[in-house]
Amino acid sequence: MAALHAWRAARVTPLGELLAPPRITAALLRLTVQIVLVASLWRGLYSQTGTTAGLTRDQAVTYAVLAVLASRLRELDQYAGRDTVLQHMHFGTIIYWYLRPLPPQRYYALRAFGEQLYGLAWALTGYAVCLAAGVVEPPKSPAVGGVFALSMLLGQLVLYYVMLLIDQLCFWTLRNGAAMLILIFAQNLLSGVYAPLWFFPDWFITMSRFLPFQATLSVPLSIYVGRIPLSDAGVQLALQAAWVALLSLFTRFLWRRAARRVVAQGG
Amino acid sequence: MNASSIEVRGLSRTFHTTVRRPGFVGGLRSLVNPDRVPKHAVSDVTFDVAPGELLALLGPNGAGKSTTIKILTGILTPTSGEARVAGVVPYQERERNARNIGAVFGQRTQLWWDLPVRESFSILRDIYEVPKAQHAARLREFDDLLELSSFWDTRVRHLSLGQRVRCDLAAALLHDPPVVFLDEPTIGMDVVVKEQVREFLRHQVEERGRTVLLTTHDMTEVARLAERVVLINHGRLVLDGTLDEIRRKFGSTWQIRATLADAHAEVVPLPGIALVRRDGPQVVFGPEGTEAPTVHQALKQVIERYEVTEVAMDEAELEDVMRAAYVQAGPHAEEI
Repeated sequence: MAALHAWRAARVTPLGELLAPPRITAALLRLTVQIVLVASLWRGLYSQTGTTAGLTRDQAVTYAVLAVLASRLRELDQYAGRDTVLQHMHFGTIIYWYLRPLPPQRYYALRAFGEQLYGLAWALTGYAVCLAAGVVEPPKSPAVGGVFALSMLLGQLVLYYVMLLIDQLCFWTLRNGAAMLILIFAQNLLSGVYAPLWFFPDWFITMSRFLPFQATLSVPLSIYVGRIPLSDAGVQLALQAAWVALLSLFTRFLWRRAARRVVAQGG
Repeated sequence: MNASSIEVRGLSRTFHTTVRRPGFVGGLRSLVNPDRVPKHAVSDVTFDVAPGELLALLGPNGAGKSTTIKILTGILTPTSGEARVAGVVPYQERERNARNIGAVFGQRTQLWWDLPVRESFSILRDIYEVPKAQHAARLREFDDLLELSSFWDTRVRHLSLGQRVRCDLAAALLHDPPVVFLDEPTIGMDVVVKEQVREFLRHQVEERGRTVLLTTHDMTEVARLAERVVLINHGRLVLDGTLDEIRRKFGSTWQIRATLADAHAEVVPLPGIALVRRDGPQVVFGPEGTEAPTVHQALKQVIERYEVTEVAMDEAELEDVMRAAYVQAGPHAEEI
């Protein structure tokens, strides 16, 4: 199985980052500034009130800081490495993905796995620092921590498939810059990175239930801060798993269709 | 066991493209009712390549060379006909075929832009499951021939074009494929690196017995490397033969280059002598038809007919031969 031996492909993007110290410095700086600003913002918003939308100040700050850390998981700079699917389509180098004894979908998955592991190292380091500094609260119990970890894993799988879906669009549209901008905005807004979803009107919350984005971040973070009690977590985990299954089937179907588009777009 | 490394039988591939109607209304109509027209990229092409042979697949832009290579690499399925590469039908068993082939597509690199070259080699080693000892031995061999070690710890983004293409060649051969597809591998390279790459390819064919299918517009490369040439134009095979056969069929076996004293003098064809090319006072003559004179007879005729200040005779350049072949192959064929 070439996929087993090709584990080194998982190192591509993290290694590219590690070999470019300015990129690491910039990432560190940006993450620090984001956390400081987000924590200050939510503390400021809660200065006149104790509880808003069912959240205490500490819960809100914990949620917001964890959202910043979690968004780091897939935020690697593939563009600088000329390694986005869009760039491979543009330069015609996507052809090599189809000339190796490793199916493109497995290669893509390996790459994403490596990127998410590298992002996880950043997120865990940031979490440990924030926890030690008292910026975020620990989970209420080991059970909450465990369910949160499971939900986060499912959320990352959903995010992987959503990003894959957008990348697959390149095979049909060649330019997916606009789709990517929409995705980033929708992902940040509907997954609750900008603000927890409970602050939005009812119609917005209802609409977001029919989309996969809240399964990526809002659900696991809500479990962590206690907004979703453990008694309700089972349903949410099942919904996340359903999104994973649905998106997995759909993207598998698209990979098969995409193979026929390689020549037309990238040959 | 097949006798040929590459077998192509009656290969055809038709694409359907959407033609936009002119004007605003036409554009709207095209959106609602698109006009799909067939384009025959490859039509009934048949040829073989023997093990350890280097074949040049030639033709003007849009002739169908790349489509043929894409079918042979398993990326594209033919509309009809069949192909086998090292005994494998590439479009039916793409992954199995991938282990038997290496490919370089011009300036498109398969190396990872942000990583040192050797990291790329290691990733490919893992993907192709090459044992470490074999990998190291091949790297040493490629380093001897292509002088890679002076820059293989450099990130790909910092390599020159010549360095990168040499690394791409090595990357394509690291898994020891018996068949190699090279689509304009030396495009844009300087003469020194080109010669190094040609030497490398000669070594791979003669010493390692690899089968190479090469497309190029560089006729010097063809003359130096190819034993046999397949010429396709408008998707159809025009000729399959040795360079000598092509010269006999399409080109002169000699050329006379003359500089006219009068740059504007009218040049009319002489019996059995064709005007191949003219650039101001510089004219090139070649034989025409089956009753063409010898080069010495022709030289005499040219000197007697025109006032020349300088004259030289030599064998026709392959580029002129191929130009003649393309023109004869189709009235609207493009220039090489």
